[in-house]
Amino acid sequence: MTTKDILKIVANLVVIYLVGGAILSYVHANTSPIRYQNNIIAEEKALKLLIPDADKIEKMGDWEIHEKHGKYWKATKGEEVIGYVVLSFGKGYSSYIKTLIAVDKDFKVMKIEILDHKETPGLGDEILVPAWKDQFVGKDFDHIKLVKGETKEYIQAITGVTISSRAVTDDAVKNGVKFLIDTVKGGGAAHGGSH
Amino acid sequence: MAEATEEQVSYWELIKNGILKENTIFRLALSLCPAIAVTNNVKNGFFMGLAVVLVQVMVNFTISAMRKFIHQRIRLPIFMLVISGWVTIVNLVMDAAVPDVYREVGMYIQLIVAFASILARAEMFASKNRIVPSVFDGIGMGTGFFIALMIISAFRELIGKGQLWGFPIIDAKPLLILILPAGGFFAVGILMAAFNWVYAKYFSSGGHSH
Repeated sequence: MTTKDILKIVANLVVIYLVGGAILSYVHANTSPIRYQNNIIAEEKALKLLIPDADKIEKMGDWEIHEKHGKYWKATKGEEVIGYVVLSFGKGYSSYIKTLIAVDKDFKVMKIEILDHKETPGLGDEILVPAWKDQFVGKDFDHIKLVKGETKEYIQAITGVTISSRAVTDDAVKNGVKFLIDTVKGGGAAHGGSH
Repeated sequence: MAEATEEQVSYWELIKNGILKENTIFRLALSLCPAIAVTNNVKNGFFMGLAVVLVQVMVNFTISAMRKFIHQRIRLPIFMLVISGWVTIVNLVMDAAVPDVYREVGMYIQLIVAFASILARAEMFASKNRIVPSVFDGIGMGTGFFIALMIISAFRELIGKGQLWGFPIIDAKPLLILILPAGGFFAVGILMAAFNWVYAKYFSSGGHSH
């Protein structure tokens, strides 16, 4: 390899990195605001789907889980509080699974929705299957627990996707509901007692 | 005039080559892993196929355009950089433009980086040919891959779930194994055999030598 070869290789790589980097940052800069907006729209749509009965879903505050930014909302119908929604994260196999959990006023799960995850393609997506997510409906805090094998009482793990399904169940949902109980219920009880 | 017609014919030949004679999946047996992973329903197969056509064409175009400037020794790393660059662009644009679809197939789009078929065409064709033929080769190979994905995913979804694009078609107990990975191997094997049988019977010219 002559000096000329070496120079050519270096020039090749420098040019490719510079041009490629410039194109990628241009595309990223132009698409990221749209993607950000899309996420907000998706979040609003998901909230409506979680508690279709609610007239109004208003944000109550923020919280933190796995150093991620979670949020929680209060759903009302007329004057009455009919439930709460919390945005939570579960540490999965290769990503943090972004999950929305809706609970009724007794803190039983009404519905959950997975907003985003980067688990193993083709396998991890099993957590998106409605039949699996529907297992959470009606479960209270003590019954949000992943078990292997047939169960009606708890949440059944998906074969081959144990880590992802555990991340949703024992991490995202359980911690999310616990947070709501600790935060909202405490406040709610004190509020109710004062009347 | 005559020359232009001749060129058009050869471009058509390039496209036909990618669809039939050198069909990535059914004839070259390349990129079988993603072909099995994404084809358990038609919708995934469709968008994955579309993304592959786009990436293949853009990669062929780019590699062909810079083929004279690339040093032989580092051509493969450079091909990989070009491929991953285009995949990232498709990934970002799809996320912004069609978020609902991206939620379903986004993870597979990133897998295109590792497609043997795209690297193979960059090395075997685009790095040795002019830009226009390379683009047509990309269209041909990409379309061949797209068609193969559509055939496999339609077969698997129809028999494995009794549906097409999520709409119920057959009202009978489906053969669930076909949408599982193991069934994917069966499906690809059966369809590959069928494709080659049809190809040998109707499309291969009589005079070819083995």
